Amino acid sequence: MKKERSWRAGDIAVIGVMTATLEASKTALAFLPNIELVSFLLIIYTLVFGRKTFAAAFAFVGVECLIWGMGLWIINYLYVWPFLVAVTLFARKRGADSALSYAVISGAFGLGFGALCAIPYLFIGGPVMMASWWVAGIPFDLLHCGGNFALCLVLFKPVRRVLEKAADWGRQ
Amino acid sequence: MKKNTRKIWIGAAILVLVAVIFAAVYMIAGPKAQAGSKSYTLEVVDDNGETETYEGTTDAEYLRDVMDELAQEGDFSYEGTEGDYGLYIDTVNGLTADYNTDGAYWSIYVNGEYGQYSADLQPVADGDVFRLAYEVSAGE
Repeated sequence: MKKERSWRAGDIAVIGVMTATLEASKTALAFLPNIELVSFLLIIYTLVFGRKTFAAAFAFVGVECLIWGMGLWIINYLYVWPFLVAVTLFARKRGADSALSYAVISGAFGLGFGALCAIPYLFIGGPVMMASWWVAGIPFDLLHCGGNFALCLVLFKPVRRVLEKAADWGRQ
Repeated sequence: MKKNTRKIWIGAAILVLVAVIFAAVYMIAGPKAQAGSKSYTLEVVDDNGETETYEGTTDAEYLRDVMDELAQEGDFSYEGTEGDYGLYIDTVNGLTADYNTDGAYWSIYVNGEYGQYSADLQPVADGDVFRLAYEVSAGE
C-alpha cells in the first residue's frame, strides 16, 4: 500500500474541489429535507483521498458558515461530518470495501444524526431537553437513514470508479 | 470473504432493528396530537414588544395547521423554510427575523414554556396558548 505523502499544491486543489462539490450537492438537494449527498460524498472521498477529507469536511463547515451565518448547528457540523470521515477511515482499515457495507454505515449515520446533533442540548437544557429534541426529530432521522442508505448503495460503485481514475491521473 | 459478507448483512439487520426501535420510541414518547375541536390562543409579539392576539377553535392537530387556518382567514401571515428538523419560521405578519443580520429569530412558546418542537411538530391541545415571539440572540 502506498504511504500517503504530505500535502502538495495538487492536494490543496483536490480539497478545494471536494469542498465545492460538497457545498454544491448540499445546495442542490436543500429542497428535500434530510435527503443529502454530503454523507455519501464524504464516504467516497475518504475511501479515495484518505485523511485529506478531514480538511474538506472542515472547509465545508466554513463555507456553510459563510452562507448561513453562525448558529448552534455550526457546533454540530464541526463534529458530525469529521466523525463520519473517521468512521469511514476505521471501516476501510478494517477491510470494508463493498457498496453494501458503506450503505449500512451511511444509513446508520443518517439514523444517528439527530442523536449526535442533540448532544449540545445536554449542556444547554439538560438531559430532558436533549431527549425531547432528539425524539421530536426521529421521523426526519428515519428519512435521513433511508435516503443515505439508498443513495450510497446506488452511487457507490460508479462514483468510486470515476474518482479512482481521476486520482490515478492526478498521481501521474 | 464469506465471513465479511455475513458481517455486512448482520450490520444491515442491526440497522433495520435500530430504526424500528427509534420508530417505537417516537410512537411512545413523541409529540401527541389531539383530535377533535380545541380552543387555542396564538399571540404574536413583534420587535417592539407589541402583542397581537388570535383566539379560536380548531380541529387542527399541529400548530402549523392552525397558522395555515389563520392565514387563510387573512388577518395573519407567515413564511418559513423547511429545515432538516421541521419548519423554520422566517416571517410573521410581514416582520422578518434575519439571524444572519442581527441575530433575530422567531421563537415558539407553548403555555409560557419555550417550545421544544417546530411549528409542524408542535401538537395542539385544548386551551393551549402559543406565542410567536421576535427575539434577538443575546450574543448579538
